[in-house]
Amino acid sequence: MSNALPAWSALSPALLLGLTGLALLLVDTIRPNERSNTSMALVSALGALASLSVTVWFVVAGTGHADTGGAITLLEGAVKVDTLALFFTAIFASVTALVVVAAHDYFHDHANPAAFYSLTLFAATGMALLAVANSLAVVFVALEMVSLPSYALVAFLKKDRGSVEAGLKYFLVGALSSAVFLFGISLVYAATGSLIFGEVASGIESLGSLAGVAGIGIVMIVGGVAFKTASVPFHFWAPEAYEGAPAPVSAFLSSASKAAGFVVAFRVFTEAFPLGASLAAGIDWALAFAVVAAVTMTLGNFAAAVQEEVKRMLAYSSIGHAGYALIGLAALSSGSAGNEAVMGAAMAHLLVYGFMNTGAFLFVALAERWGIGRTFEDYAGLARRAPVACTAMAVFMFSLAGLPPFAGFFSKYFLFMGAIENGFLWLAGLGAVNSVISLYYYSRVVRAMFLDDPATPSALDAIDVRPTALYAAVVFAAVATVLLLPGFGPVIEAAEAAAEGVIAASGSF
Amino acid sequence: MVDAFAYVPAVVLLPFFSFLVALGAGKYLPKGGAFGGIAATAGSFLLSLWIAATVAGGRAYDETLYTWAAGDQFELTFGALVDPLSALMLVIVTLVALLVHVFSLGYMNDEGETGLPRYYAGLGLFTASMLGFVVADNLLMAFMFFELVGLCSYLLIGFHFREPGPPSAAKKAFLVTRFGDYFFLVGVVAVFATFGTAAFAGEGSFPALAEAALAGDQAVWTPGGLDVMTWFTVVGLLVLGGVVGKSAQFPLHTWLPDAMEGPTPVSALIHAATMVAAGVYLVARMYGFYALTPTTLAVIAFIGGFTALFAATMGVVKDELKQVLAYSTISQYGYMMLALGAGGYVAAVFHLTTHAFFKALLFLGAGSVIIAMHHNEDMWDMGGLKARMPVTYYTFLAGSLALAGIFPFAGFWSKDEILYEALVHGLNEPLLLGGYVMGLLAVPVTAFYTFRMVFLTFHGEPRTDLAADPEPVRWNVKGPLTVLGSLAVVTGFINMVPVQKVLGLEGIDYLHRWLDNEWGGIDGLSSHHYADLGPYSSGYIAGGEVPTVLVGAAVSLGLALAGLGLAWRLYNVASPTEHTAKLGGIKDVLYNNYYLDELQVWIAYRTEDIAGGADTFDQGIIDGVVNGVSSVSLAGGSRVRRIQTGLVSQYAAMLTLGLIALLVLIGVNGGWFL
Repeated sequence: MSNALPAWSALSPALLLGLTGLALLLVDTIRPNERSNTSMALVSALGALASLSVTVWFVVAGTGHADTGGAITLLEGAVKVDTLALFFTAIFASVTALVVVAAHDYFHDHANPAAFYSLTLFAATGMALLAVANSLAVVFVALEMVSLPSYALVAFLKKDRGSVEAGLKYFLVGALSSAVFLFGISLVYAATGSLIFGEVASGIESLGSLAGVAGIGIVMIVGGVAFKTASVPFHFWAPEAYEGAPAPVSAFLSSASKAAGFVVAFRVFTEAFPLGASLAAGIDWALAFAVVAAVTMTLGNFAAAVQEEVKRMLAYSSIGHAGYALIGLAALSSGSAGNEAVMGAAMAHLLVYGFMNTGAFLFVALAERWGIGRTFEDYAGLARRAPVACTAMAVFMFSLAGLPPFAGFFSKYFLFMGAIENGFLWLAGLGAVNSVISLYYYSRVVRAMFLDDPATPSALDAIDVRPTALYAAVVFAAVATVLLLPGFGPVIEAAEAAAEGVIAASGSF
Repeated sequence: MVDAFAYVPAVVLLPFFSFLVALGAGKYLPKGGAFGGIAATAGSFLLSLWIAATVAGGRAYDETLYTWAAGDQFELTFGALVDPLSALMLVIVTLVALLVHVFSLGYMNDEGETGLPRYYAGLGLFTASMLGFVVADNLLMAFMFFELVGLCSYLLIGFHFREPGPPSAAKKAFLVTRFGDYFFLVGVVAVFATFGTAAFAGEGSFPALAEAALAGDQAVWTPGGLDVMTWFTVVGLLVLGGVVGKSAQFPLHTWLPDAMEGPTPVSALIHAATMVAAGVYLVARMYGFYALTPTTLAVIAFIGGFTALFAATMGVVKDELKQVLAYSTISQYGYMMLALGAGGYVAAVFHLTTHAFFKALLFLGAGSVIIAMHHNEDMWDMGGLKARMPVTYYTFLAGSLALAGIFPFAGFWSKDEILYEALVHGLNEPLLLGGYVMGLLAVPVTAFYTFRMVFLTFHGEPRTDLAADPEPVRWNVKGPLTVLGSLAVVTGFINMVPVQKVLGLEGIDYLHRWLDNEWGGIDGLSSHHYADLGPYSSGYIAGGEVPTVLVGAAVSLGLALAGLGLAWRLYNVASPTEHTAKLGGIKDVLYNNYYLDELQVWIAYRTEDIAGGADTFDQGIIDGVVNGVSSVSLAGGSRVRRIQTGLVSQYAAMLTLGLIALLVLIGVNGGWFL
């Protein structure tokens, strides 16, 4: 079916997102009187959903799949559309849709919310572009395209000191990380003579005395990935940015932006630096990821356990989840048959995580909208006033903790099992221990909402509004989290197909 | 025609629904949900009769209804097994439960008790658990319902939980029986490990496999290659642990007298048809297994005989009506165990049946007296109630005659058969003969304490104003008493083996024929089959079977009459006095139940010492590790928090240092700089 369309149409998910952003910007600029929060939110949601529909259609139709003629490459091989790209584009589009719907209520009294929608869509466009990037140059450009709107989004509440400060810190750490990443790319280019993944891969096979140069470059690229995924030691921006940013932005950054970091990692490290060739050259990047994963999940969970504010707890938990997802790269081993399984499981985890984590942050957005305070204590007794939203939040918490029968259990289970089958028992064991720790702080939220009594009888009087769109987004995310349980079969299959696609594309892995 | 067996689950579920109804809506129902319970047990009773009739029509039922776990090695299932034994038991349990429900209207409702929905919910669940236990087709299911029975007894004994006595008695009943059940549970696991199945009936059932294994036709797992016979004996004894606890056999009988703290109808239910009967029924249910191991049988017989005598002696000195009955229950279940151990499967079931009726009768009669006496249970405050409550008196008398084993009341026939079986099989088995002698010695003691109780309560002059003017009881008390009184008289006639043997009248041993699958049943579960398996041969005294029957019956009846006569002389006077002082030092021993409670408490404290060691280990080491992990993670978390200073310059520094560390690690590992 897709053969009937021109090849460039394979990029339409990204193009749809970009065009929607441009349209919003256009209206905002030339007809400032016509813009309204509602119409803006509606248009952006429609754009995100259109992009999602096209992506799902492509996945179902098998665009870029080996069965229908393989990946579609465009622009001299700088861009490549395959199942992996589509899978992640689906995550980006879903999260974007949820976030813009929720933002409608969050920014109900903001003077100029239009910029928020266009910035979000531009960032999403960058993510979609990141997913199809097949050249280190495109990766860098797309990464900046994600980052620059993100800085602005974090600092979006111009009159809020926390928001502005967080934006600045994010920008500074981001600039440093971008420099590291770019330097890494230049070193790899110096060693291999190309930026196109396939050619870099063949360059890695014949490094000779340049192995050290390529090695430093690759580890620096690991650093760039770590920045985007908020992994140790590039995570410092995350707690502050997530906490200071408007909650819908935190949701967007911690879910979609993190997934964008992972799509780069999955593609670059399988296609450009195949593990077999890298190991032959003495560049054990899987070990680097293993170290990063282990430290990240431990640090994220330990720090989350001692937080007093729910949003900051979620920020650290988000770091912890990055650690879990990194297992998808760390637990790879050259020539093992289990590579598709573990990488696929990591992707599936990111999809599930996209819904449950976005939902959790949107619940925080709801709480901020009500103005009931930020700490665990402030959430006490909330279930009495807002049972539906609190039930949804309980679903997110338990799913994030990886308790059955929620989707988070299955994705984590597949991930750890994949790691064990690939011989990384210690990593899976560490992940399991961390999951137990995470249960402690996730259940604190549930306990506060359902079991504790409010500090004062009037503490919950602030809950006087029922923001429809925000509610809808939270409930939708909860429903998706629950429905992903019966729907987990197709998800994990699609994810494994995506992983198989990139691993096969790398030739000798 | 509709199949009666399709309604087997309904027999169990009806009382369960009454439990749910009483629990959920009892508050809003008249009489606290009593009518629901009565309707449910009546329905179960009618269904049981129908099922028994169907079994009599030559059919049996053994189906797996639900598999709740299936593995490679074995399956865990729920199922129903209806054969002559369980059909008989269903009728007994549902009938007694029905009468207890009706009686409760008089004992609980009319007395203005509070918390009635809880009471009727407990009764319903109790009945349902016992019925589930009766129809269980495998040992695991039996165990689960066995535990439910234990739970319900806990709930009901402790019904008056605001008073100090009942909760403590309930706890004791729960813990002591749980001690036995612990062995039972290990036994269930051992049965699964050994045979891979716990089914009671059929080709692949564990008794059948055990039989084949002993014949060398079947390989079974034994721990460490232990001898098959030895291992089966161990397994049998493990399961017996649960039986000893539930059926209140020595040394785990101590909970039962305390359990008198429960409402009297509950005592009737516990003693006659549910909890205590469950133990004996379990042995009968898996008799095909026990019959294979002579050692176990001998142990059962000896424990039974000893308990029969031992409990009877304690019953002699008790002052409270229900206490006497409690010790008589222990003693009578001792007889049943003696019968089972002596190879008298039919005799045990027979006594279980007759005892169910006359003991329910005695408890309900005692309940009636207690209503009349405004809940004063001391027999020394009674006297002369005969004229003032004739229905209670005559029915209670019928029950007492049955308990004492006086011809021709029900208890005579069944007790006589037990002693006969023990005698003829015991002539070649010293341990069994010991059991027989103790059982025989218990006969006069039983008759004595029974009639001491009757005379003190009903005869003579009223010793208090209360006894002179007792509160009248209503139809709901008299009705059940009348039904059970009639049964106490006639039940013995279902199995007149001595008459058959002496007069040569063939075919009047209906229970024998019933349990021998003469009308229908399941192969391998017949009394005949058990007799073939059993290790015993019969010996006779006085030159033949008929003289042995006559001598045995005459001796036991003579002893019973002697005991009765003594009680008559001592207590059937206008104003009886205590004669216990004549017993001297023995009196204190008997009053204090041979100091067994004290012994158990002592053992419990010694156990506590050991448990204390385990507790120290748990608290210090296990909890220490767990707490350590959590405090390490919290402390670690606080450290991480401190790293997050908020200063971007520090972030940049740490970020760079982290990257360099990573570079060095991977670089050294990959050997880039060499």
